[in-house]
Amino acid sequence: MSLWRYLGRRVLLLAPMLVGITLLTFLLSHAVPADPVTAYLGPQASGDPQVIAAFRHRWGLDRPLPEQYGIYLWNLARGDMGVSISTRQPVMVDLKQHLPATIELATAAMLVSLLVSIPLGMLSAVRRDTMLDQLARIGSLIGVSTPIFWLGIVAIVLFYAYLGWAPSPGRLSMEIPPPPPVTGFVVVDAVLARRLDVAADALRHLALPALVLSSYSVGVVTRMMRGSMLEVLGEEYVRTARAKGLATWAVVVRHAARNSLIPVVTVIGLSFGGLLSGAVVTETVFAWPGLGSYAFHSATALDFPAIMGVGLVVATIYILVNLVVDIAYAFVDPRIRVG
Amino acid sequence: MRLSTPGSAWAERRPVAATAGAASPLRWLPRPVARSPLALVALGLVAAWVVAAFSAPVLAPHLPLAQDIVHRLSPPSRDHWLGTDPLGRDVLSRILYGARLSIPVGAAAVVLAGGLGIALGGAAGFMGGIIDETIMRITDLMLAFPTVILAMVITAALGAGIQNAVLAIMVAWWPSYARLERGLVLAVRQREFVEAARVLGASRLRIALRHVLPATISPIVILGTLDVGHAILTFASLSFLGLGPPPQIPEWGSMIAAGRNYLNQWWIATFPGLAILSLVLAFNVVGDSLRDLLDPRLRRV
Repeated sequence: MSLWRYLGRRVLLLAPMLVGITLLTFLLSHAVPADPVTAYLGPQASGDPQVIAAFRHRWGLDRPLPEQYGIYLWNLARGDMGVSISTRQPVMVDLKQHLPATIELATAAMLVSLLVSIPLGMLSAVRRDTMLDQLARIGSLIGVSTPIFWLGIVAIVLFYAYLGWAPSPGRLSMEIPPPPPVTGFVVVDAVLARRLDVAADALRHLALPALVLSSYSVGVVTRMMRGSMLEVLGEEYVRTARAKGLATWAVVVRHAARNSLIPVVTVIGLSFGGLLSGAVVTETVFAWPGLGSYAFHSATALDFPAIMGVGLVVATIYILVNLVVDIAYAFVDPRIRVG
Repeated sequence: MRLSTPGSAWAERRPVAATAGAASPLRWLPRPVARSPLALVALGLVAAWVVAAFSAPVLAPHLPLAQDIVHRLSPPSRDHWLGTDPLGRDVLSRILYGARLSIPVGAAAVVLAGGLGIALGGAAGFMGGIIDETIMRITDLMLAFPTVILAMVITAALGAGIQNAVLAIMVAWWPSYARLERGLVLAVRQREFVEAARVLGASRLRIALRHVLPATISPIVILGTLDVGHAILTFASLSFLGLGPPPQIPEWGSMIAAGRNYLNQWWIATFPGLAILSLVLAFNVVGDSLRDLLDPRLRRV
C-alpha cells in the first residue's frame, strides 16, 4: 500500500469514528437511570409534575430517543452543543473557555516526560542491569503506581505550605490581572502582550501541576524507551557498527537511538489519553480551570449536555492525536505500510 | 551412553537443586519471579496486604468508625500510630479496613471486565463476519475514550457507590480484553487440534468452549494480574472524586480527599496514599516480572 493510500484510508475512517462517538456519548448520557430533572430542579420543584413536564419539554427530554439524537446531531453540525444545565452558558462557550488550560497543562506535562524519559530510558538500556538501570526501572514503576491526586496534594503540602517554593494553586497569582485572551494559553497570551513578568508567573504556576501530571507518562515512556532500545541494541547492524570499531556513544547516538525512537512515537499518542485522564484529578487538586475540572463538575451535577460535550471533545482530540501519531509513524517507518 | 546436550544437563541438574533445598520452597513460582529479589519482596508485600485485609479487625488498634473527638487531628503518636482525622478517627485502622475494600474491588473489576471481554472478543473472533465487525467497531469506539473520563461519566450517571464504580471500571476496560481475546481466538482457530475436533464432528459451540477458549485463557489471566493494581488505582481516583462509597466508609481515595483541606495535618492524606502506592507498586512489580517471562523478545538480548 502506498503512503498516500494509507493516509486516505485513515482519514476516511475518521468520519464514521466521529459519528460513532456522538452516538456513544448520546447513549451514555441518556440510557442511564439517573434523572437529570431531579438533579437540576432539586427535591422541592421536582415534586410538582407540571414543573417537571415544562422542564422536560423545554429541553426536549419528552421526545423519543432517536429523535433526540437526530436533533442533537443536527445542532452539532451547526456548532451548537446545547446549553449547560449548571452554568447556563452554551456548552461550546464553556468548552472554549476550559480547553486551552488543559492543553497548556497536558503539553507541558508531555514535554517534561519526553525530556526526562527518553534520555533516561536510553541510558537505562545502554547500562543494562547496572545500579542506574535498576533505579530507573523502580522509578518508572513508582511513576505508574502513584495516585496522581495524592502526589498533587503531597506536592502542594510540601512545596507550597511548608517550603513556600511553589505559588498558590491556579493559573496566575491573585494580584496579577490575566493578559488579554488571544489564544487562551496564558503563557502565550502574556508573551503576546509583551508582559514577560506575567509569562514568568504563569510558568511558575504551571510547573508543579505539570510535573505531577507527568509522573505517569514518565513511567510509561521510560519503560517503553528502555525496551525499544534494548531490542535495537540486539540487532545485527548495531553489532556491525560496533565491530567496525565505533565508540559506544557513536553507536548509540548515530545508529540505535533513531530506530529505537520509532515505537516510542505510538506510546506518546497512547499515553496522551492517560494524560487527559490524569488531568481530571490534577486539575481538581490544583484548582486548574480546565476541561478536567469542568468534566468533574458537570459529571457530579448530572449536567448531560456538558458531559456529552466533554466526552465528544476529549474523544475527538484523542483520535486526532493518534491519527497524527500513526501518520508520523508511517512516514518514519516504511514497514508499517505493508501491513 | 547418554548424550550430553545442554537440555539434558539442565534436566539432570534440576533434582539436585531441589534436594539442595535452597530454592525448593519457591519452586512453584515462575522462574523470573523466584529469581528476582525485587519480585519476591513485591509478592510478599501483596501477600502482607491480603493478610492485613483479612485480619483488619484483629490488627486494627481502633474501630474504623470510632470517633475520638478530644484527639481529633492529632499527629502520629503512641496511641494513634498514624494520627487521627478531622473526626478523631484512627488513620491506621481506617487504612487497614480500607484494604478490605480496595483489594476485592480491584479483583472484581478485573474479573468482570475480563469476563465480558472474553465473551465479546471470543464471539467476534469465532463467529467472524458482521458480528465480528460490529463488536470490534464498538471496541474501537470505547477505546477512544480515556478510561477515567469514561468511568467518571458512567459512575456519575448511575450514581455514586461501590457497585457502580466497579461497573464503570468494567465498562471502561472490557474493550482491551475483547481485543486480546479476539486475536488469540483467531490464532488458536488455525491450530491442528481444533481442526481435529472439527473433523471428529464436534459442534461449533463445543469447539468454542472446550477447545478454543481454554487455549486462550493464560495470556488473559496475565493481563488481568497486571491490571489489578491499575484497577485499585482507578477505583481510588473515582472515590477521590466523590464517586465511590459514602465518606464514612474507610476507603483510601476518599480518605485522601478528606485530608486535602488539612494542609497542616499532612498525615491524613499522606498515609492512605502510601498504602495505595505500596500495594499498586507491588502488583506492578510482580506483573512486570511475569511479563518478562512471557515476552520472548526481551529474553533474546
